[in-house]
Amino acid sequence: MADTHPKPTLEGEPDSKRAKIGGEDQTYTLVLLRHGESEWNLANRFTGWVDVPLSETGEAEARAAGAMLVDSGLTFDVAYTSVLRRAITTLWRSLEALDLCWIPVHHSWRLNERHYGALQGLNKIETAEKHGADQVHIWRRSYDVPPPPLADDSPMLPANDRRYADVDPADLPRSECLKDTAERFLPYWESDIVPAIKSGKRVLVAAHGNSLRALVKHLDDIAEDVIPGVNIPTGVPLVYKLDANMRPIAQEGSVGPLSGVYLGDAAAVAAKVEATKNQSKAK
Amino acid sequence: MLAATMRAASAATTSAATATAATAATASARWAHTLVLLRHGQSQWNLENRFTGWVDVALTDDGRKEAATAGAAMAAAGLEFDAAYTSVLKRAISTLNIALEVMGSEWLPVSRSWRLNERHYGALSGLNKAETADKFGEDQVLVWRRSYDVPPPLLDTDSPYWPGHDRRYAGLDSDILPRGECLKDTVERIMPLWEGEMGPAIAAGQRLVVAAHGNSIRALVKHLDNIDDNDILGINIPTGVPLVYTLDDSLRPIRQENSAGLLSGVYLGDPDEVAAAAEAVRNQSAATAH
Repeated sequence: MADTHPKPTLEGEPDSKRAKIGGEDQTYTLVLLRHGESEWNLANRFTGWVDVPLSETGEAEARAAGAMLVDSGLTFDVAYTSVLRRAITTLWRSLEALDLCWIPVHHSWRLNERHYGALQGLNKIETAEKHGADQVHIWRRSYDVPPPPLADDSPMLPANDRRYADVDPADLPRSECLKDTAERFLPYWESDIVPAIKSGKRVLVAAHGNSLRALVKHLDDIAEDVIPGVNIPTGVPLVYKLDANMRPIAQEGSVGPLSGVYLGDAAAVAAKVEATKNQSKAK
Repeated sequence: MLAATMRAASAATTSAATATAATAATASARWAHTLVLLRHGQSQWNLENRFTGWVDVALTDDGRKEAATAGAAMAAAGLEFDAAYTSVLKRAISTLNIALEVMGSEWLPVSRSWRLNERHYGALSGLNKAETADKFGEDQVLVWRRSYDVPPPLLDTDSPYWPGHDRRYAGLDSDILPRGECLKDTVERIMPLWEGEMGPAIAAGQRLVVAAHGNSIRALVKHLDNIDDNDILGINIPTGVPLVYTLDDSLRPIRQENSAGLLSGVYLGDPDEVAAAAEAVRNQSAATAH
């Protein structure tokens, strides 16, 4: 883990790795990373805003993502993540691997996973038995039908958690559908992340399945009935190239409907996409 | 998974400690502000007895354990924070991250600032004690180590250790970037961060944790406790032991029952372990590079 003789960084990084600023033919690189398996993924429980840690597997996925980023030669100037530790620690492992612990990191609740309302904490199979598989499928995979909301006396109310003390209580959800997640994420994308990208900063976003779905839906203009079926594999960095207007540039190796390209061996990525899809179905 | 294990262990001891801390906190909440300073633990170059300064060396496994222990101590004491500050050097950043993980506070906003970096050791960067004595002579080395305002020999700008070559400092004017610092220089470049950001945050009610370096922490405590130029060099901050300051509304420290000598802060943790850590750093300081 400890390096014996760290090499000082010298000027003269190849131009291709350094972002240039300005001009209509400007291309920007944006990397998205979905965190890996959490303790509650393992326990097959709806998680949402509950702040569960990564499992051992999730930790390994985070380290593997870091290794992929190192191999890619990509570098970053700033990172964005949620206020949930499974995304934050995933980011930290990547930054350590890249030797970029020093870059500014911005945390926002707006990048949190979709809030799962009164389902949070419940076992997925039990929930299907209780409400029926079809109803659960609707809550999980519709674009605009939220799960039942948290009750007024629920200890899980975000208002009870001091990390949200500065958030307008009216903005704190008691339950979200994917549409709600998008509505609270995209303002932050526009106000904070886009200006950073346009200023020439190379951005890494470490977040969650549904917050990233919200973002790629926006970037690639994906239809509401298609996006719930788009599964972003965990622990595999997804690289977008954007133009001056933040529209994705087509890339070789991208798999529709996303314009982004996953890092790593194509076969391994395909297997990961399949695995993520099945995990989503079976559980 | 060290952090997870330690978090579980500290959770068991937290409840009783939290109740006491909470009572004390409520009693003085309106005018008492918390600032915790944490010096990072063993780095690879500590092991090799080299002057480090701004060179970005990693923690050793022992250094990582020190960070986890510090996090556990803060959790057990029921300490809560609203924001964190650290340098742009990974030995401090990792220390903070590990401590936050053990405390379960990974979500805290973190400001990384070069102004909290360790003192820059100029042309001594990378040299070990024997090499330094050989090169410059024992007497000269003693002067640099024991003076408040005599800087070490300065780096040339073509040295690979000159910060101008490192893109993390790309936004800074090259005349701000040090080529070597005495402790006085370190104090001077920390003050804009204290006055511009940290102090106002504390005054606004934010409880801060700061993970930094021996000399950047010396600079802060010198300012807080108005310590003499002559006395500050004799202050050795133990590594991995949280130093808890309670400040009034004017950001002046309130002396506590177990304040540590010239410092108004209180070291957190098992008293025997704290004493041992202080002794260790005193001996290391006498024998070695810092």
